[in-house]
Amino acid sequence: MTLPDIAGKETAVRTKVIDALRIVLDPELGINIIDMGLVYSVEVDEEKKSIELDMTLSSPACPMGTSIVSAVENCLTHYFDQFTRSVNLVWEPAWSYERITEEGKQLLGNE
Amino acid sequence: MISVGKQHPLLYRLVVSHYLLSAICFTALAVMLLFSSDKLSGHYFHPQLLAITHMAALGWGTLMIFGACYQLLPVILETELYSYKIGWISLVMFISGLILLVYSFWNFEPGIHMQCGGLLLLTGIGLFGMNVFMTSRKIAAEIHQEFIITACIWLVATALLGTLLVFNFRYAFFQKDHLLFLKLHAHMGFAGWFLLLIVGVSSKLIPMFLVSTKLKPGFLTWSYYLINAGLLSFVTDTYLFGLNIRSCFFGAIVVAGIASWLIFVFHCFHSRLRKVIDLPIKHTFVSFLLLGTALFVIPFIISNQLKADPWAIQYTTLYGTLIFMGWISSLILGQTFKTLPFIVWIKHYQHLAGKGSIPMPTDLVNSKILKLQFSIFLVFIGTFYAGLFYQSSLLIHIGLICFLIVALLYLANVVIILFHKPQIIEL
Repeated sequence: MTLPDIAGKETAVRTKVIDALRIVLDPELGINIIDMGLVYSVEVDEEKKSIELDMTLSSPACPMGTSIVSAVENCLTHYFDQFTRSVNLVWEPAWSYERITEEGKQLLGNE
Repeated sequence: MISVGKQHPLLYRLVVSHYLLSAICFTALAVMLLFSSDKLSGHYFHPQLLAITHMAALGWGTLMIFGACYQLLPVILETELYSYKIGWISLVMFISGLILLVYSFWNFEPGIHMQCGGLLLLTGIGLFGMNVFMTSRKIAAEIHQEFIITACIWLVATALLGTLLVFNFRYAFFQKDHLLFLKLHAHMGFAGWFLLLIVGVSSKLIPMFLVSTKLKPGFLTWSYYLINAGLLSFVTDTYLFGLNIRSCFFGAIVVAGIASWLIFVFHCFHSRLRKVIDLPIKHTFVSFLLLGTALFVIPFIISNQLKADPWAIQYTTLYGTLIFMGWISSLILGQTFKTLPFIVWIKHYQHLAGKGSIPMPTDLVNSKILKLQFSIFLVFIGTFYAGLFYQSSLLIHIGLICFLIVALLYLANVVIILFHKPQIIEL
């Protein structure tokens, strides 16, 4: 996951979006999708009032895929209802375990 | 937006019906065992033991695997199930056939009821196999798929031979000993159906549950060819020449296949990111130990059989109970709580996810009951097998009471999950 650019003018809202997405959990592992590395990019345009998010799933047939994607949409609708929201599901690059953050690994019980 | 694998609305009822019926069969199995505990020290070719074995293999093991397959096939093969209607017809035929067959075995009435039961079961199993084949045929072949399809072929062959054995009771058309075909029937079911299916499904699910980073799929390929080669050789050789010293060699080939699979599982476990091992996974590892113990017993069965030592019968009972009440039961007792809560959770909470605080799928399971179930299952293993080893009817009886308690706790937890009332979310 790329770190938020704190110098960017969209940073405040973008950070809020990323924070909000931390309540969306992978139902099997109980880890939020940010630390799972499922979110590839978050683009916020404050002038146009739009949020565009690229995300993936651990596999195209993830049994919880629909739940996770609808949870992201529900989350954005709940916290950013004044913005137009677009969630794009992408498969390139494919998700791998390397994308799990250090915090995510700790949540899985790693030291 | 690209579409993702979505749970088909018809899937829920089909899957949970299999889980619930299977849990009821498990309780019935435990009750039947308790009432037949004295038969366990006799010959395994006894009407009540035949009824119990078929209740275990079909009502408990196979029915549960059918339900799990309907739930997991779309995930593993990344496609939709071919037909839900065929799934329902298969279930109705399977249950009707099972009731008739178990009733007929228990009372040993090898007439029209047993024959109809066999034919209904064969049709139900055939329809399941067709559904799996049609679901997977448009997908590029992967090793998991090969395991599942081959397991279904072995299942249909097992059911066909079983049905022929039922008719052989009345018309005696087999030229060789009925017990010889019974051995082939049993091992086609054990190694061909249960083992291949479990290896195929687990090799996809275990890395997913453990979040394993290093997979060694080459071991699965070895496992597939070794198990099938060993089993085919065993079936052909035993049919032609009966049980003989070569049977040990063919058994060793199957064991090598199992070892390859366990090496794959070991690598998954070793490279896991998820360090916390939950109770369902502990149940799964206990099941592997019990499978290993069952395999350890095989040489004793063959050597005693060749010496015409009556201990061969005791070892066969030990082997059979380790397979059904040990390996398969422990696996299902754990894996049910890794799969069933998800399909129920999706139904109740999918549309609420991300809006606030909602339970996770694991919260649908009553963890206290699950802990109790696991502990009592371990007590059952200790007392029951000590009872078989020391020929103690008291220990066997205590073990079977524990087994019944495990079955009731399991049924209670399945019912709790199925009748879960959605909790109000905090926005």
